[in-house]
Amino acid sequence: MPSDRIFGLVALMTALAFIASATQIQTSFLSDPVGPKMFPILIGVVAVIGSLSLILRPDPNPDWPAMRSFMALLVAVVVLIGYAFALKPFGFLIPTAITAGILSYQISPKINAAMMSGLGLSVGLFGLFKFALGLGLVAFPRFLTG
Amino acid sequence: MTHHFFKAFVMGAVLTISAPTSVIAAECIAPANPGGGWDFTCRQIGKIMYEIGAVDKPIQVTNMAGGGGGLAYGHVVNERDTDADLIVAASSATSTRLAQNAYAGMTADQVRFVGAIGADPGVIVVAADSPFKTLGDMVDAIKANPGSVAFAGGSAVGGFDHLKPLMILQRGGFTDITKVKYIGLDGGADAITQTVGGFTQVMTGDMSEIVGFLKAGEIRVLAVLTDERVPGFEKIPTAKEQGFDVVAVNWRGLYVPKGVSDDTFNEWASKLQQVADSDAWKEAMVANGLAPFTKVGGDFQSYVDGLVTEIRQLSKDIGVIQ
Amino acid sequence: MEIIDNLALGFSIALSPYTLMLAVIGCFLGTIIGALPGLGPSNGVAILIPLTFTLGLDATSALVLMTSVYYGAMYGGRISSILLNIPGDEPALMTTLDGYPMAKAGRGGDALVLSGVASFVGAFLATIGLMLLAPMLARVAYLFGPAEYFALYMLAFCTLGGMASNNQAKAAIASCIGLGIAMIGVDNSSGLPRLTGGNLHLMDGVDFLVAIVGLFAISEVFFFIESHGKGSSIGIKLEKVTIPWKDIYETKWTMLRASGIGFIAGILPGAGASLGSFLAYMSEKSIAGEKGGFGTGVPKGVAAPEAGNNAAAGGALVPMLTLGVPGSGTTAVLLALLMTLNITPGPTLFTDRPEVVWGLIASLLIANVVLLLMNVPMVKIFVRILQVPAWILLPGVTMVSFVGIYSLSGSYFDLVLMVGFGALGYVLRKLDIPTVPVILGILLGGHMEDALRRAMVLSDGDVAYLVSSPIAIVLWVAAILGFVAPMMLRKFLEKPQRVTD
Repeated sequence: MPSDRIFGLVALMTALAFIASATQIQTSFLSDPVGPKMFPILIGVVAVIGSLSLILRPDPNPDWPAMRSFMALLVAVVVLIGYAFALKPFGFLIPTAITAGILSYQISPKINAAMMSGLGLSVGLFGLFKFALGLGLVAFPRFLTG
Repeated sequence: MTHHFFKAFVMGAVLTISAPTSVIAAECIAPANPGGGWDFTCRQIGKIMYEIGAVDKPIQVTNMAGGGGGLAYGHVVNERDTDADLIVAASSATSTRLAQNAYAGMTADQVRFVGAIGADPGVIVVAADSPFKTLGDMVDAIKANPGSVAFAGGSAVGGFDHLKPLMILQRGGFTDITKVKYIGLDGGADAITQTVGGFTQVMTGDMSEIVGFLKAGEIRVLAVLTDERVPGFEKIPTAKEQGFDVVAVNWRGLYVPKGVSDDTFNEWASKLQQVADSDAWKEAMVANGLAPFTKVGGDFQSYVDGLVTEIRQLSKDIGVIQ
Repeated sequence: MEIIDNLALGFSIALSPYTLMLAVIGCFLGTIIGALPGLGPSNGVAILIPLTFTLGLDATSALVLMTSVYYGAMYGGRISSILLNIPGDEPALMTTLDGYPMAKAGRGGDALVLSGVASFVGAFLATIGLMLLAPMLARVAYLFGPAEYFALYMLAFCTLGGMASNNQAKAAIASCIGLGIAMIGVDNSSGLPRLTGGNLHLMDGVDFLVAIVGLFAISEVFFFIESHGKGSSIGIKLEKVTIPWKDIYETKWTMLRASGIGFIAGILPGAGASLGSFLAYMSEKSIAGEKGGFGTGVPKGVAAPEAGNNAAAGGALVPMLTLGVPGSGTTAVLLALLMTLNITPGPTLFTDRPEVVWGLIASLLIANVVLLLMNVPMVKIFVRILQVPAWILLPGVTMVSFVGIYSLSGSYFDLVLMVGFGALGYVLRKLDIPTVPVILGILLGGHMEDALRRAMVLSDGDVAYLVSSPIAIVLWVAAILGFVAPMMLRKFLEKPQRVTD
């Protein structure tokens, strides 16, 4: 099945769900002729038409990456989400070095270069943000520094 | 590097820049981002209080934006209820939102309103070529056909700009106020543009928003909503003298936490009075299009209470709240 | 004269040593951002906005910095086009056609200097055009009521959507994604939450900066992971750089014509710099005919697209400033910046905040001169920076994005949302679904709905009011044409790549 058709189906489902939840929007006493539901529903309807047209007339498939690259992308997403959660409790330096290193390795699989760029970016950017731009970054996790 | 050093630089410090205060410097919370009216109130009053010696350390300004002032209100009520060194900027928007329950159920009696020292007078404005010459013309036209006149203002539906013409219409004996058309735009300038362009018939807003357009001769001010004519704009009649007893100004003032002693409350009130009497404040008012409007202490508290009651009733009448 | 007075006001603001310094920094950063493959003007500006905000720059300074970055990136895009045959950003795509052959023939230095001069001419003339045209457009403010604004937003979506994709259905879906996201949060009129699913983080809506950085910068990282950073190869060595006076003189008419075409292309909502450089190149090619040798490395083939895309970049500011409707992806990002700074672009901007508008125009003129001075003698430095490998660059971009967004709100939620937008951006771009309409939807969705609701209040719910004025009718017709016409013209305007400028 062409990937446009799959995307069209997903978009169709999302649009229908969007319309369904738009009909549940609370309306206040004082309502103008349009009200808070109408516009979201209109958007949903346009999206439904767009998705149907995509399902009926899909474009040729793009070059999807091989399974291995796909896994790599998944890893990258997981690592970035982990980074998002780690930034506050673990400080800037350590999570940044690890995340930057992994991303670097994923782009170019050279272990030494990746480690260097992880460390370099972590320390370099910390210096830049903290001292040149004056952002309030915490270097290390609080449990290490007391 | 010490423990303390890191504590002081907790990330996300945008709000917590208030520094580790062991020294007793008073703090003024502006419940909005830098640049707005509340921020102006804190910075000007804080600066002048220090300059005239009403406080012995510079007042520190903290910006706490969120929920149209609700975040700061909740912070004061829940966490700083007895802090004697805290003042918070407020305006008509604060009392309007409290009256309309827009602060998550918090009420106006959970803090103490210290005083207002300046106000942006409300105005009712039409395009220069409008058939309406007086406030009476406008009210008569609405009585004859409510759908023929649409108002434009800078606040959202149910906001202060919306309520101003409704108050006038009520005084004029028109009670079917849900029929009145109002559109809220992103600021007074947009509202004037729509009115001059003929898309709406009347603009409701504040004096400071219309000064430029008035000089350009594009608009006519039907009425200013103050007790007396505003200095510098003596040609503009008040609503009162046209027979509509409405005073609606966007006052600029302060509140303090509920739990402070009466002495502290009175102390802040007298400091505010000192600011109001200073030359520096008079200059700042002129530069920012504010008219004199001084009410401090118990006087002001009862003014705010009255305002909240009136706005609550009006909001119920038009259906903004239940 | 009014314009002279206004300009004097502008220069009095923009010529302070501080703003001048910001302009120089912005131009430098912008040139680098434009030159690096994969980092276009919109990515560059998007990543830097949160930082500008946390640095606490005032409105004018922030604008000066960001527009310098914007213009700088338009200049910088040509460097990798000419030397590596890789356009740094899409508007620079046309420059590869003659720039790279010139470089291969040993005239890389000449091509760089000539394109720098052409960029200057294009950008300079466009800034003059902006100066003359924008105040005139601002006067039409009084003719725009809610119905006209609604039609105008419609026009922006239809033309940007129509131009940005090869499939109208995809553009429509992209717009709907953005508009749908814009609906999340507290409803302006009733004050009640909509579509938040009870999540407190969503009460204030989705921050458009989070969406922009995710869709543009983070998704780029995913693309590099997929391709393992291929394409960052070493190009042609640059020998000594001299000024090719003869070429500059011979291409003077080409530059002027290309600037005119680019400027007009830029003003059209949705067209942007890519179309500017494309049209400029194609028209010069047909003027020169077969004998012109376009595509084999002729100076005119370098001068035309560079003058065209820089002029379009200036032209795109006209609708953004006067009507609040961005003409391209990057101006959409600049619009986001203005809105973050609490400035609402639109007809009243010129009367309310003349210091912002004229400060901006003056700083554009300054930025141009700085860029010309910077780009001719310092071109070797930029060429060296080009050699930063992707495996350092892209992780760096990611970290800067994270810190920027984190410093705005201090919440992990926005960061996770940003990664989500990155993944969404990857999928959309893979499927050739344009991401710019998504941004436009998030930016303009609220305004569009407000306009519709105001119009309906005024007309008591009569839908015919939306098409009751001549201006509204013209806008609707243009919107429909803008959406439909690209389908007919697709054969001639086939886009070789996605639009990201």
